[in-house]
Amino acid sequence: MTYPFGSLPENLIAFCAVLRRDHGFSIGPGELRDAARALEIVALAEEPAVRHALRPILSGTRDDSAVFDRAFRDFFLASAVTARDDRTASTRREPGHDAPGREARIDRERRAIASDDMDAAEQEPSGAIDPIEIGDIDVEAAARLARSTYSPIQADGAMPPLTRAESAWRDAARSFVRRLDVGLSRRWRPARTGRRFDLRRTLRVSLQTGGEALTPRWLRRPRRAPRFVLLIDGSRSMSAHARDALQVAVALASITRRVEVFTFSTALQRVTGVVRRAAAGEAQHLDAVQYAWGGGTSIGACLREFLRTSGERLLGRDTVVMVVSDGLDVGEPDTLRAAMSELRRRSAGLVWLNPLLETPGYEPTARGMSAARPYVTTFASVTDAASFARLSRLVRVR
Amino acid sequence: MTDAETIRARFRARGFVVDEAFATALQLMLALEKPLLIEGPAGVGKTESARILSEVMGTRLIRLQCYEGLDSMAALYEWNYPRQMLRARLSETGGTSLEEREAQIFSEPFLLKRPLLEAITQDRSPVLLIDEVDRADEAFEAFLLEMLAEWQVTIPELGTIRASHKPHVILTSNRTRELSDALRRRCLFLWLPYPSLAQEIDILRARVPGLAERLAHQIASMMQVLRGLPLQKAPGVAESLDWALALMSLHRDHLDARALEQTLGCVLKVHEDHAVMRSHHAALEPILEQVRDPGGTSRDSDFGFGSVSTPR
Repeated sequence: MTYPFGSLPENLIAFCAVLRRDHGFSIGPGELRDAARALEIVALAEEPAVRHALRPILSGTRDDSAVFDRAFRDFFLASAVTARDDRTASTRREPGHDAPGREARIDRERRAIASDDMDAAEQEPSGAIDPIEIGDIDVEAAARLARSTYSPIQADGAMPPLTRAESAWRDAARSFVRRLDVGLSRRWRPARTGRRFDLRRTLRVSLQTGGEALTPRWLRRPRRAPRFVLLIDGSRSMSAHARDALQVAVALASITRRVEVFTFSTALQRVTGVVRRAAAGEAQHLDAVQYAWGGGTSIGACLREFLRTSGERLLGRDTVVMVVSDGLDVGEPDTLRAAMSELRRRSAGLVWLNPLLETPGYEPTARGMSAARPYVTTFASVTDAASFARLSRLVRVR
Repeated sequence: MTDAETIRARFRARGFVVDEAFATALQLMLALEKPLLIEGPAGVGKTESARILSEVMGTRLIRLQCYEGLDSMAALYEWNYPRQMLRARLSETGGTSLEEREAQIFSEPFLLKRPLLEAITQDRSPVLLIDEVDRADEAFEAFLLEMLAEWQVTIPELGTIRASHKPHVILTSNRTRELSDALRRRCLFLWLPYPSLAQEIDILRARVPGLAERLAHQIASMMQVLRGLPLQKAPGVAESLDWALALMSLHRDHLDARALEQTLGCVLKVHEDHAVMRSHHAALEPILEQVRDPGGTSRDSDFGFGSVSTPR
C-alpha cells in the first residue's frame, strides 16, 4: 500500500476528487467526513481493510462498487503517481465508455446538436448514448444479411428532426394514459366514497357524536399509474414510419415521466433522454446521435438484450411494453419467441404497433411477425393522433 | 464488537460466514451509526445476516417486511380502533367531558406499535431489518428517508417521540426496482455477490455439520456452474444449504447423476430451468465424475435406498 501524498486527509481528498472527476461519483462533504471517520477505525497499513472501509461509503450501486475497486487500485497501488492522471478508467453506469463523466458528455452532446455540428458528432460517434452491444449473437452476420435483403445500412439514415409534440398528439397521449387501466394500487387513500372504513377518521368524527359512528369515512385504492417502455425498430425498412413512432414516444413523454424509449436495429440503444428533451421543446436531431438508426433488424436479440440489461428495473405489473416494428426480422425466430414470451409474462400488456397494418391486404405472416404474434396483447398501428387516441380502447391489459 | 475480525469470528461461531468486506461494512455501520443497504441476488444471506447481527449483539431484531402498498400506518403505528370505540361508548355515561374522553382513548394503552415505532422505543439499540425495501413504492421510500434521518415520530394525539437509542438498521433490496439516489446516499452500501467456490464450501461446512467433504465440494462446484447458466432463477446459498440437507437426509455422501435427478427440485425451482440444465449437461458431467475417485470405494450400490448398507 503506497500513499501518493504525504498526509492522510490529502490522500483521501485527492482520491475523492479523482472519483468525482473521472468517474462521475457524487461525493459530498457528508461522505468525505464519513470516509475520514472510517479511516480512523480500520488498519491503515492493510490495503483490503482500507478498500473495504471506503467502498460502502463512497459507492452507492453495484456498478459504482466495481468502478470504485478499479479506481482504488489505480490510485493507491500504482507505483508511478504521475501515470495516474492520464489514465481514464471506465466510467460508472456505462461500462466501456471513456468520457469523463456523464454530465460532461451530455453537455457536449447538446452542444453538438445545438450547433448542428455534424463533424463533432462524427468525431465522437458514441457522444450521446452508448449502444449496448449484443454479446453472443453474430450481429455482423445478421447485419450483412439484412443489408443484402431489405434493410440496406446507410450512414445517412435520414431521420426527421424531433420536436415538441403537437397539441393533437399531446391530447391523444393524455387520453391514452388516462384511459389505460392497469389496475388499482395496493395502497388505501382517504376518499369520499370507498370500499373500506377509514377507522381512524371515522372514530375522530364519532367523538363529536358521543362515540356513535354516525358519519362513516372511507378509504379507496387509487388507480395505478401506468409505466411505458417503447421499443422502436430503427431499421431501414421502418424509416418511412419512424416519425410516427417517435411522435408517439414524444407525445407520451410530454404527458408522463414514466416513459422509457429504446431504439434497436442490430443493437439496442436508450434514447429516453433525447425524447424527453424533445418533449420539453428542444429540437433534437436524431440522425446525429442515432446509432441504431438505419441498420438491419435482429428483433429477438435486441429484445433479449433489453430484458437482460433493463428488464429487472423497468418491467412490472404496471408496465405497458410497446414494440414498434414491421416484424421483418433477420434473427432466429426462437430467440424472438422466447424474448416475447418473457416480455409478455413480465408486463401488464404487450402492444405491437406495425405500420404495415395500414397496407391493404397485409397479413402478419413474415417470419418474425408470426413468431411474435401469439404473445402480443394488442396488434395495431398508429399513423396519426386520432389513431393513437383510439389505441387506448384497443389495449388490453391483464 | 469493534473490529472486523471480531465480527467475523462471532458470526462464524453462529454458523454464518462473512468475508472481510462484509465484516468491515458491519463494523462501519455500527461505528458511524449509519444504515447499511445490502443488495444482491436472492438467497445470499441478506436477511439472515441481520438476524445473526442481532444475536451477536444480544439485542432484539425488529423486522419490517416491505410490500407493495405498505404505508406509514402499517410501518409506524395504528390506534386500536375497536378498543377505542368500546371505551368511547362505555365512558359516555360516566359524566366525563369530551376532552377527557378524547385524551383517554388517544393514550398509549390504545396505541399499536408497528415495527418502526417499536424500534425507536426500545431500551437498547435493536437491529432494525427493513427487508426488500425495493418492493415498497416510492412514496414509502420518501417516508423512510425522513425516518432514517430524524429518528423521531410525531403522533398528533401524543406528541413527538424521539429515539433514545438509535436502531442499527439493515436494509435489503433485490433490485426489482431502482432505489432513489437519496436513499442510497443516506446508507452505506454493500453488494453481496454469490460466494466463491472456497467460500461456499466454507459456508456448507459451517452450516451443515457432518456433511461429507467430497459432497460439499461437489455441491459448491455445481453451484458455480449453475450460476453461470442462463437460468431464470439462479440458485443462491440458501439453495445449496437445502440441497446439502436433502442429500444428507437421503444418506448420500456424494453426488451422482441419479442423486442429482432426485433432488433437482431443491436447486432449480422453475420448470424451464431444468431443461436449461439438461442442455448444459456436458458442463456438469466432470463434477459428477468426481465421484469415481481413485480409492474406488463408491462401487457399492444402495439400489437407490440410501439407508441400506451393503456388507463390505
